[in-house]
Amino acid sequence: MQELFKDILTMEGIKGLMMFSFAGEPVYREFNQGPPEGIESRDWSLFIESLAGMRETDLLFKKGRLYIRRTDIGYLVVLMGRFMPIAMLRLQCDILLPSLKPAKSVKGIRRLFRK
Amino acid sequence: MIKNVLLVDDDREMLVALKEGFQRFKDSFAILLAADGLKAVESLKKNTVSLVVTDLKMPGMDGFELLTHIMEHYPDIPVIIITGYSTPEMERLAREGGAVGYIAKPFLIENLARQIMSTLRKESEGGTLHNVSSGMFLQLIEMEQKTCTIRLEDKFSNKKGILFFNEGELFDARVNDLQGKNAAYEIFSWDQVNLSIQNGCALKEKRIHSEMQHLILEAARRKDENVVESGQPAVMEEVEPFEPEPVDAIAALKEKIIAKLGPACGLEDIYQDNAWDSRVLQFSRAGDFFNLGGLEMGYIDRGEENDFIVLPGENTTVISVSPKCPRDKLLRILSE
Repeated sequence: MQELFKDILTMEGIKGLMMFSFAGEPVYREFNQGPPEGIESRDWSLFIESLAGMRETDLLFKKGRLYIRRTDIGYLVVLMGRFMPIAMLRLQCDILLPSLKPAKSVKGIRRLFRK
Repeated sequence: MIKNVLLVDDDREMLVALKEGFQRFKDSFAILLAADGLKAVESLKKNTVSLVVTDLKMPGMDGFELLTHIMEHYPDIPVIIITGYSTPEMERLAREGGAVGYIAKPFLIENLARQIMSTLRKESEGGTLHNVSSGMFLQLIEMEQKTCTIRLEDKFSNKKGILFFNEGELFDARVNDLQGKNAAYEIFSWDQVNLSIQNGCALKEKRIHSEMQHLILEAARRKDENVVESGQPAVMEEVEPFEPEPVDAIAALKEKIIAKLGPACGLEDIYQDNAWDSRVLQFSRAGDFFNLGGLEMGYIDRGEENDFIVLPGENTTVISVSPKCPRDKLLRILSE
């Protein structure tokens, strides 16, 4: 997954990102300057629940910003600086989105010819 | 007796959400709100508070200063600290300062409620009595040389007061901001009270130097002559926790957006809607976790005809905009 998110993580102003399942379980995380304290034990379920029905959410705080994008497998949460230009990040997410799909199970006779 | 818990935090969403969350416990305690230490001090003067829950970082008077003030003037009131910037050093300072509890944000409302209730239970660990004559009972305390803190509620006026006994000696009394002998006269004038007894006395300094018998007689005389010491409120008086928002805030916001972006900026509607409160609270908590400071606003695209910008406040303000609006410009204008 690291390769998938490389382009986002190397953008200027990006501090890290997390990928959550729809149930609020962290699936992946990467922080440029190390993870925040308590990340292992934090319960994200209420936060993810609060995003229900949202396609894209951009939260502006006094000292930073959280950009959240719904994908087919859950929510991508990007942590960034307060004045990060958002247009480029949205574009990167648009490019990334088709890669974030649930793994397809191979059915029928095709499964016999899997390499 | 329903006990008053004073919540102090400069984060509006947090205060509103806690007040709503504590509705479930309204049979156990009532909630008072204050937006900073100074408002809390004002509230403590006007109400009989059983417990204070306070944030640490606040403008004006912060949580540590408030804790010091309470320990000095109301040493019987337990304080629980809640903070989004928790460090072991802060916890040590808070506990050394007299805090009975310390909870790092984010936390579950149930956990805080549990801590509040277990702390409040100590107020009546020595028992509770209903419909008793205060004078008679208090003479018993004196005779038995008890060290205790007694909280009383007048059945007639619902006023609440507190008496501090050390080895049977009346050390001090308090009814709202009235202290010492005058507060004792007020309490001893109550014919029938409900009371709860807490073992121990947090007060070390003796502020009343008269015999109990003398105080009771003087209280009776004053009552007969209808001497009024002060106009304390009989009911809980809530200090306005935040400055009221201007009534035309929505109109001003609309004017600001149109002035900067023109009438064709995609602005559809502006209104207040509390249905967003719980979501806004979760957004704020996520921000707290990443140490991003207070939430200023959120832009939400639900794939519907309109997008929404939510502005946190006592009432969440919602700006409905066309998805074609100049989003970044709009957010910049709103954050100015």
